Amino acid sequence: MRWFLRRIATCLVLAWAVSLVVFMTLHVVPGDPAELLLSTGGIAADPIAVKELRVKLGLERPIFDQYLAFLGGVIRGDLGTSLVDEYPVTKEIALRLPRTLELILAGTLIAVLLGLPAGTYAALHRGGLFDRIVSGTAALLLAIPVFVVGTLLVLLLAQTLKVMPAGGYVPFAQDPVKHLTLLTLPAIAIAKSLSAVVFRMTRASVLDALSRDFVRTARAKGLSPTRVLLRHVVRNALTPVLTVLGLHMGTLLGGTVLVEYVFNWPGMSTPLLRAVEARDYPMVVGIVLTISGLFLLINLIMDLLYAALDPRTRAA
Amino acid sequence: MTRLWIPGAFVAAIILVALLAPLLDLPNPIRQDVARRLSGPIPGSPLGRDEFGRDVLSRLIWGARTSLGVAFASALIAGTIGTLIGLIGGWFRGLGELLTVRLVDVILCFPPILLALLVVTLLGPGAATLILVLSVLYVPGFARVAYAEVLSARSNDYVEAVRALGASTGRILLRTVLPNIAGPVLVQFSLAVAAAVVVESGLSFLGLGVVPPAPSWGLMIRGARATMEQAPLMLLWPCVALTLTILTMNLLCDALRDAVDPRTPAQRPRRRLVDRLVPGLLPPPAVEPERVLDLRGLTVEIETPLGRIRPVDDVSLTVRAGETVAIVGESGSGKSLTATSVIGLLPPAARPVSGSAWFGDRDLLRLPEPVLRQLRGGAIAMIFQDPMSSLNPVHRVGDQVAEAIRAHRQTSAANAQAQALDLFRRVGIADPERRLRAFPHELSGGMRQRVMIAMAIANRPALLIADEPTTALDVTVQAQILDLLAELKRETGTALVFITHSLAVVAEIADRVTVMYAGQVVEEGEVAGVFANPLHPYTRALLAAVHEADAAPVGIPGVVPQPHAFPAGCRFAPRCAHALAACAASLPALEEAGEERRVRCIRWAELSGAREAAA
Repeated sequence: MRWFLRRIATCLVLAWAVSLVVFMTLHVVPGDPAELLLSTGGIAADPIAVKELRVKLGLERPIFDQYLAFLGGVIRGDLGTSLVDEYPVTKEIALRLPRTLELILAGTLIAVLLGLPAGTYAALHRGGLFDRIVSGTAALLLAIPVFVVGTLLVLLLAQTLKVMPAGGYVPFAQDPVKHLTLLTLPAIAIAKSLSAVVFRMTRASVLDALSRDFVRTARAKGLSPTRVLLRHVVRNALTPVLTVLGLHMGTLLGGTVLVEYVFNWPGMSTPLLRAVEARDYPMVVGIVLTISGLFLLINLIMDLLYAALDPRTRAA
Repeated sequence: MTRLWIPGAFVAAIILVALLAPLLDLPNPIRQDVARRLSGPIPGSPLGRDEFGRDVLSRLIWGARTSLGVAFASALIAGTIGTLIGLIGGWFRGLGELLTVRLVDVILCFPPILLALLVVTLLGPGAATLILVLSVLYVPGFARVAYAEVLSARSNDYVEAVRALGASTGRILLRTVLPNIAGPVLVQFSLAVAAAVVVESGLSFLGLGVVPPAPSWGLMIRGARATMEQAPLMLLWPCVALTLTILTMNLLCDALRDAVDPRTPAQRPRRRLVDRLVPGLLPPPAVEPERVLDLRGLTVEIETPLGRIRPVDDVSLTVRAGETVAIVGESGSGKSLTATSVIGLLPPAARPVSGSAWFGDRDLLRLPEPVLRQLRGGAIAMIFQDPMSSLNPVHRVGDQVAEAIRAHRQTSAANAQAQALDLFRRVGIADPERRLRAFPHELSGGMRQRVMIAMAIANRPALLIADEPTTALDVTVQAQILDLLAELKRETGTALVFITHSLAVVAEIADRVTVMYAGQVVEEGEVAGVFANPLHPYTRALLAAVHEADAAPVGIPGVVPQPHAFPAGCRFAPRCAHALAACAASLPALEEAGEERRVRCIRWAELSGAREAAA
């Protein structure tokens, strides 16, 4: 229990640090941030517009007041309004976040369902044909950038073979089959590198577990090979896999931005990219904060799962 | 080495082409020619023209220049700043550490692309923004590596020495620590370059990285996506270039990492008892009923990079019902391998290649695995040396004991738990109800070994093999465990094979003793007889060390030879005070030296006669 509380406290401190970094970014850039936001390609901004933006962003007030207002807003869940259309940032995020989450979940599920058994099998038959083929494929999957995979999937399956839709989105309630069909390709693109990561880590950690003394003890007890494998090898190999999964969530969350863009999936990336192009700072900040918060939350969940799997961490 | 050179050469070639781009006489990568828009290969443009009629090959090569330029610049900046931060944090610790290493760690709380987008919003897209963002992103990686290396380096003797000589901190950091962390930092550098290429291309693909019309692979993919129906190849080229670059960089990173932190891959052996495939090739010997285990001529081989070795060579051993036989020897004598081969738990690289192990009328070395499995933990049980690593850390100890019961008997989970509770009482675990639910890390070393013993006796084995069961324990706990084993043996009549390197323990627990040296039996006999009149010089040396507890045998210089370097003659001869030229000439046989007494020494009668004469 004490461990649990301490872990949550760490998470909160990190969340605060993240919000501080985001707030400070606006103030550490050289020059007037409002002027920066309004200038394009070296053309100086209209001074009246700059002044208006300064007021809008609250840059006229003392920095400490600004920070308190910002922090208060974050805590209340009020992330301000868009500079483009005055639309509340929180509202936009609330609409988009579930779709992004769905994509991440589907991708992770595919990655684990593929990577875990494949990694275990490859470790048990190390150096065999399967191991060599899949290890090579994993190296290739890790090397192809996610947007390349996405684009090539569209080129092959949608443009050339015409077996899958190129992208888009239909609400689940409206047409569940269509919804899942449209989810498939982006989820595969998301799972691309993650499945390779899960495969590699599972393979390594099963190999490690196999050499452990307690596996010898399990065999010395006369347990069946299946039971030794599931209860003593795979069960113990899961914890490192989980750690690595947590470490790769950052890349994964960044990858969703690209994947959503490639497949026209209307998650968080659409307003994010639009906002970056339009230099709509409050919208960008809101989305970056949300996704970073999500990143921290996922890592917290991973840690809790880790503790559930490994009793030694609970004692520490 | 090929793992390092092949991707290394590839990466070098890519870098070289990018560097030489201005000298290659390529068409201008940004000059548009709308008339030849999306044309296939034409003279002067082997890969065709893009959607604005620009030469694709030229854009690919100049794009490499952009990508690699941004990646190397940012990795260099991040490497310099990050290493410096890590050095400072690692050297000063305390507040310095908090303000440096811990502070930059916050960057790791952001998904990389999102932090980049935040900065792009403020500064606008462009190569300069990219370099700034990517540098920031990879600072924590370098800081962590440098920090960890400094921590381990500062405790090293040479750093301590330079410090004691009064060198200034900056000087020590630069002159002694920095060269030492070069390897890991280099690996980190290659990782950062590869990662930077990925992020740069991703941002350019989104239209938020390199600003058009400058060539970049990400931008090329973005542009070709719009026209992929008419010109799919235009999409393929930058995809292939990007993937190939990242793939070779990743392979180079892996190879570099392995070069900095080498681990030898294990070999896969294939050699087993030939006659396992042809049962009945050898006639079974007349079984002597009172013998629980009859090991005859066991030889174990291991394939190693240095060749095939025989860490166990022609070992014979008999154990009668209710008897305790000790196997004694220094580490490397082959005693553990002898024991584990009996229950078929040799490490994967080792194989028994000849001999037999009769357990009743069954040869354990030739039993099919499913049959052997029923014996393991049932009729033959084993206790291992280190109870901490031998218990599974993630399961409750009660469950692990119950599991052993249910592997051999049909019984309910509740019943198995109840039996486990009984076993815990029998092995003297205090507060057994609570301990059943404990995890291994919550128990003391002695308690854990009691759990292991409970597990081993759970199915009333006829033969119990204990492999140095007290070595990992405190001296006082050792005595308790020995008492427990002796008591259990009295109660159940189990035969016990007790492996140890300590003759003091042998005197306490065993009826007969087998002394092993360098994979061979050198002497065996009744404990009383061997202790009173050791015949082999090695046994005598071991006995002389008994009073020194677990110290190395006195009066024997040197160590047990490695299996690939066993002497041709008597294996103990190089360390023996009584060795003659004849000892090194040929391997002595294991001679009968009286009732139940055997010794492998050509001079045993002579030496023993001389001692009697002296006495």
